Amino acid sequence: MAASKGLQNRRLVVVTGKGGVGKSAVTAALATLSARSGKRTLVCEVNTEERIAPLLGHAPVGPEVQELEENLFAVDIRPQESMKEYVLMTVKYERVYKTVFENRLVRYFLRFIPSLQELVLLGKVLHHVREKDAKGQYRFDHVFLDAPATGHAVSFLKVPQVLIDTVPPGPLANDATWMRDLLVDPKVTAAVLVSLPEEMPVNETLELARALATEVKVRPQAVVLNQFTPARFSAAEVLALEKMPSLRARAEDHAGRQKMSTDAARTLAQLGLPLVEVPQLFLPHFDRAAVEAFLPHLLPLWRGE
Amino acid sequence: MSSAEKAPGNPLLEALEQRSVIVCVGAGGVGKTTISAALALEAARLGKSALVCTIDPARRLANSLGLDALGNTESQVPEAKWKSAGLTAKAPLFAMMLDMKQSWDELINRYAPPDKRARILENRFYQALSSALAGSQEYISLEKLWELQSGRAYGLIVLDTPPTAHALDFLEAPDRILDFLDNDAAKWLLTPALAAGKLGLQLFNLGGSYVAKTLARFTGGAMLQELATFMLAIGGLNENFRERARAVRGLLAAEETAFVLVTTPNPERMDEAVHFFEVLRAQKMRVAAVVVNRVHSRVLDSDRAAADALPDGLRQKMKTTLDELALLAAQDARALATLAARVSPVALVEVPLFPLDVHDLAGLHASGEYLLGERTVEGSQIEGSQIAP
Repeated sequence: MAASKGLQNRRLVVVTGKGGVGKSAVTAALATLSARSGKRTLVCEVNTEERIAPLLGHAPVGPEVQELEENLFAVDIRPQESMKEYVLMTVKYERVYKTVFENRLVRYFLRFIPSLQELVLLGKVLHHVREKDAKGQYRFDHVFLDAPATGHAVSFLKVPQVLIDTVPPGPLANDATWMRDLLVDPKVTAAVLVSLPEEMPVNETLELARALATEVKVRPQAVVLNQFTPARFSAAEVLALEKMPSLRARAEDHAGRQKMSTDAARTLAQLGLPLVEVPQLFLPHFDRAAVEAFLPHLLPLWRGE
Repeated sequence: MSSAEKAPGNPLLEALEQRSVIVCVGAGGVGKTTISAALALEAARLGKSALVCTIDPARRLANSLGLDALGNTESQVPEAKWKSAGLTAKAPLFAMMLDMKQSWDELINRYAPPDKRARILENRFYQALSSALAGSQEYISLEKLWELQSGRAYGLIVLDTPPTAHALDFLEAPDRILDFLDNDAAKWLLTPALAAGKLGLQLFNLGGSYVAKTLARFTGGAMLQELATFMLAIGGLNENFRERARAVRGLLAAEETAFVLVTTPNPERMDEAVHFFEVLRAQKMRVAAVVVNRVHSRVLDSDRAAADALPDGLRQKMKTTLDELALLAAQDARALATLAARVSPVALVEVPLFPLDVHDLAGLHASGEYLLGERTVEGSQIEGSQIAP
């Protein structure tokens, strides 16, 4: 029963959090766990400077799905290419697309249709979630989305519902409906919230969890508290350093960070979600080795232990 | 120039003295708001009245400035806040939290004819413009800056800016907004409806062209209809907007304005910072300094020696702690060296990582001392790099 709680039972995992909290590293690590368990895995970044492929030691992949390593695929979803793909599904003819949608003025106009760009980007992610091969099998067992930073993530994921509420029945509304249904299905989709033991990121995580649950209706599955500082110096030990102000300051700094870590964990506990503490890494570079160091901490979250 | 023989000054102190507008830019989560507030605080401390215009500050930082209530207006930081921090202000310090939506609404209320206001404010395209459209947050914060600066009530205004995904969103914001308000595409698509001056027409009347019909199949006719409504309602505002957007753009490039780019030594943030810097340079904006926030101080040999003399258990813990910090400091040093080379001759200014979040003016002043060069980070790798060649 516990196993059904693991991320390995979700087909779409949305990783969210404030900028700079280590969202991309967590996404890369979860996708690596998935790929290594033998599942065909796709990791999606959306209209951003690519981080995940370089972090794993590969060249940036660009807007076409590419295999990075065994079972691990990646794509950077970009507005222009996705818009074309999407429109072609509706209008069917390349010639019509060229005449109408490659018109400079129309392209311009499309930029201003509220939510259209987000719908198209999200549509591409969700297309890969339900994409099947010739044999009727899902092309990818698991899709990981490195979602935009906090505020943007909520408006991004809310787009299908917003369109359902506002546009009249038609192709756009139909697409928004299947997209919304995939996102809100707790058997398909789960969100992972990444946070740091600091005031702002913790508050934003609380807000984000609420917004996801109430506005977007995507189920938050767990919180990853990154850069956690475990206990080290006892109060007596700090006191023993009294005559050495420089070392004492180091010990107090450590104790301060440790306190912020436990405070953050306590505050985040009010969400009632499993909390995964990932200790701060001390590595010479932030690269593949850092992702590898994340794996053992995230494994229980993946397996549902 | 004779100033070349003078000892090099601190670039931020110089900016506080010489400029009347400082725009703090950078990625989200680097401490931009704290740096903005610290700069304004130092200006007031040194005798220049200052306003910090913040965007979404941390609760404790807002409290430290006496900003308990939300609201789009300036309020003076109370005397008591200075006193309890053990600081003295030679000039008043003001702070405000910018409410984006409200600022947009105010702009419309000021310029739109009364009979059109409601129609604009309710329109979905307006709502997209005021909240979701790329560059609209950036634009409204610049617009507010221009308004505040025109009032000439402050010796210095420090503008904190929204976390921007793409550096160009920020500088191009005035142009984009103008494009939006005066876009040929909408006019061309909707000309018959606009010319007729009628609303509530069938889509058929929106030109009925091949292009409009194909588009409607894709977006739905209601969408085009609503755009027509918006363009009609906003039509008369364009001249005012145009003039203001031009003034806003002018202010960014003006002699009185300087940019401060804020980053952390985090390798993920570094590329963004360099990119942002290059964009500012390409647009010929004046960058006073690049502030590197949250730098780890170097581990001193004397600390290592002292740790060796500790009793067993404590020694091991302290050695581990120092080793960890040394690794982080070495990472930072590498990042700083790369950054210094990429932004030369603009100076880097380092602010150390403080163990606690800022919760009072004393905390801001702690950053301020490093910003103005009154203190430097232990073992800084870039001492002397503040001298422009």
